[in-house]
Amino acid sequence: MKKILSLGLAAALLTASLAGCGGKGGSETTAAPAGTTAAPAETTAGGGSGTPEAPAASGDTVEITWWAFPTFAQDADKPAGTYEAEIIAAFEAKNPGIKVNLETIDFTSGPEKITAAIEAGTVCDVLFDAPGRIISYAQNGKLVKLDDMFTDDFVKDVDNEALLNSCKSDDGSYYMYPISTAAFCMAVSKQALEQADALGCINQEGDRTWTTAQFEEMMQKLSAAGLNGATVYCSGQGGDQGIRAFVTNLYDSQVTNDEVTEYTLNDEGGIKAMTKIKEWVDAGYMLNGSAYNGGEDVDQFVAGNTAFTTLWSPGLASQRAETLKENGIDAIALPFPSQDGKPELEYLVNGFCVFDNGDAAKAEASKTFIDFICNDEEWGPKDVVRTSVFPVRQSMGDLYAGDAEMGFYASLTKYYSPYYNTIKGFAEMRTYWFPMLQAVLNGDSTPEDAVNDFVAKANQSIVNAQ
Amino acid sequence: MRAGPAGWIGGIMKHTKFNKIRMRETVVSYAFLAPALFFFCIFVLLPMIMGVVTSLFRYNMKGMTFIGLDNYVNMFKDEVWQKSLINTIILVVGSVPITVLFSLFVAAMTYEKNPFTRSFFRCVFFLPVVTGTVAVTVVWKWIYDPLNGILNWFLKSAHIIEKNIMWTGDKKYALWAILIILITTSVGQPIILYIASLGNVPKDYVEAAQVDGANDLQVFWKIKWPNLLPTTLYIVVITTINSFQCFSLIQLLTSGGPNYRTTTIMYYLYENAFKRFEYGYANAMGVVLALMIGFISFVQFKALGSDVEY
Repeated sequence: MKKILSLGLAAALLTASLAGCGGKGGSETTAAPAGTTAAPAETTAGGGSGTPEAPAASGDTVEITWWAFPTFAQDADKPAGTYEAEIIAAFEAKNPGIKVNLETIDFTSGPEKITAAIEAGTVCDVLFDAPGRIISYAQNGKLVKLDDMFTDDFVKDVDNEALLNSCKSDDGSYYMYPISTAAFCMAVSKQALEQADALGCINQEGDRTWTTAQFEEMMQKLSAAGLNGATVYCSGQGGDQGIRAFVTNLYDSQVTNDEVTEYTLNDEGGIKAMTKIKEWVDAGYMLNGSAYNGGEDVDQFVAGNTAFTTLWSPGLASQRAETLKENGIDAIALPFPSQDGKPELEYLVNGFCVFDNGDAAKAEASKTFIDFICNDEEWGPKDVVRTSVFPVRQSMGDLYAGDAEMGFYASLTKYYSPYYNTIKGFAEMRTYWFPMLQAVLNGDSTPEDAVNDFVAKANQSIVNAQ
Repeated sequence: MRAGPAGWIGGIMKHTKFNKIRMRETVVSYAFLAPALFFFCIFVLLPMIMGVVTSLFRYNMKGMTFIGLDNYVNMFKDEVWQKSLINTIILVVGSVPITVLFSLFVAAMTYEKNPFTRSFFRCVFFLPVVTGTVAVTVVWKWIYDPLNGILNWFLKSAHIIEKNIMWTGDKKYALWAILIILITTSVGQPIILYIASLGNVPKDYVEAAQVDGANDLQVFWKIKWPNLLPTTLYIVVITTINSFQCFSLIQLLTSGGPNYRTTTIMYYLYENAFKRFEYGYANAMGVVLALMIGFISFVQFKALGSDVEY
């Protein structure tokens, strides 16, 4: 009897285990209505009374999942996902046939999560990210084409070929729908420059462009005053575009050729820039940043430990404004210094993509949702402002009217350089960039050898990705 | 006297009954094992088999193409993989003996103390284990910070160094900085095990040896050490496996830098799988790493296990 009971118990355990494994079909469960209180990692926006725009093909509710990096700024003290939940609530009110599940992801573990989910077949429907990763997913056939969203009106409204090209894969189709953009730049501490009597080295007028010679003079003065220059951060991978733009601007080099088909950083200017950076680090003008990643370099700047940073953007300025204020630092944003005073800047493009999960209804619903976020009369401009950068659509006008600092950031758009983040093998190239800098800064290689080696590996990455 | 037909029948019936009982016990045993076995097969065995199979393919986001042993050939030619292998071996060779010796020393010093002192030391050394790698790594990141780290501040205050040292970014120090953290996070469990194990050494053996005139060292080597061998074998094997699989420290602290000076096989595997999307190549590394760990564990069992009596 005891044994029969034991057998039954074991069978029940097994059944329970199996039942635990099954159950979840494919869609996510519901949670508290969005737009109310805190939005946790996984939130489902609740319904709302609908408008007649719902596109549900069969009349049933189409359920889609949105994974969002923390690009939208939140109201003070509100957790990640709160604003996104508000968007969902507004969208669902207008589109009762579509239900959106939100999951917030972070920049540290998010990319790995996406990769794993793609392979496991559990990836989201909508992703809010940037072209570097999105176009790489497109090149691997994981995304739905968004050509139908790029209407003539929209293309005319954007009127920026480089930016539009950043949303295309090599098959000529669009895979990312852009919402906002801004140039990456650098920032200096006004207080540190005043202390070192170096304020005269920078240009605070107009577009604030300046030369490499002025930059070097500024660093000499800072060093003489006992102040630290920026770190040449090269740990991790995030923020790598900032230091790349810094390197290429110093002596008018380019990461790739204009056609974005080949890496060309080993030109005369690129090698000279790396040689000069090594000299500056050895002289103590800049710090060897082999132990710092981009975020930590910014941390050191806003904490007042370094006098400038080579990683800055309107978004970062907005995120770090409180800390800067607490530490009594006025950050002056500047374009990167260049030999001729004409910078060529890399830029951020925020946008959405739709993963091909084999369900046309979900793909259409996802496009409708993206269209709402980017183009809704009320929410479109609000959403752009939440990204702390500028709309890609010119018709949205000046969303930061009266804000002189944002006016300066907007002026940098005319210095956009060719966008190479969509080049094949871009993800692999990124893994070679920081080791190259580390090799130079730690004296493992001469700048010339290191840059040549980097370019050879980077060009091979294009071949590998074919 | 030979048994008649009735005896045979009785024997057969007894045998059949015995078989039935055995069968029932077997079924019950397997039924209890089934849930664990099911999960083991799904989440351990199947992924392992898939890992081995996909290591023979060029497997990335685009799909899979059979390439035989090319991943393995490329891996052994890959300079970064070679560096990773050397770094991994340095970490294993550096951490295992130090962990074993240090844990044994601490346990030997504390196991006869009063319960409060013993618990205090257990708590101190076990704290990094229960705190979690991420939190521990963040603390070490602050300790090692080149500009504001307490280590540089202390060494400068003590006039041991003049300029700040970039512990995790300088090629001279980076791997050793990782090794120190690895050891601090590895000693907790061995200390607990050794304290327990030392407490289980029969006191009469020790007293008999002392009566026979054995000194402390002789008591340790002749009496206590043989009793500690099963624990030592377990600690050596587990510490070796953990050191081979050192990943999160590297990911959180150095990302393999500077210039691959702290890249381990596990980290390089991760980089290939999640940053370059070369899943097949990463799986080949995983297979080789598993074989290496398996072989070294086998050697350890052979070398240390022959004297172990359970």
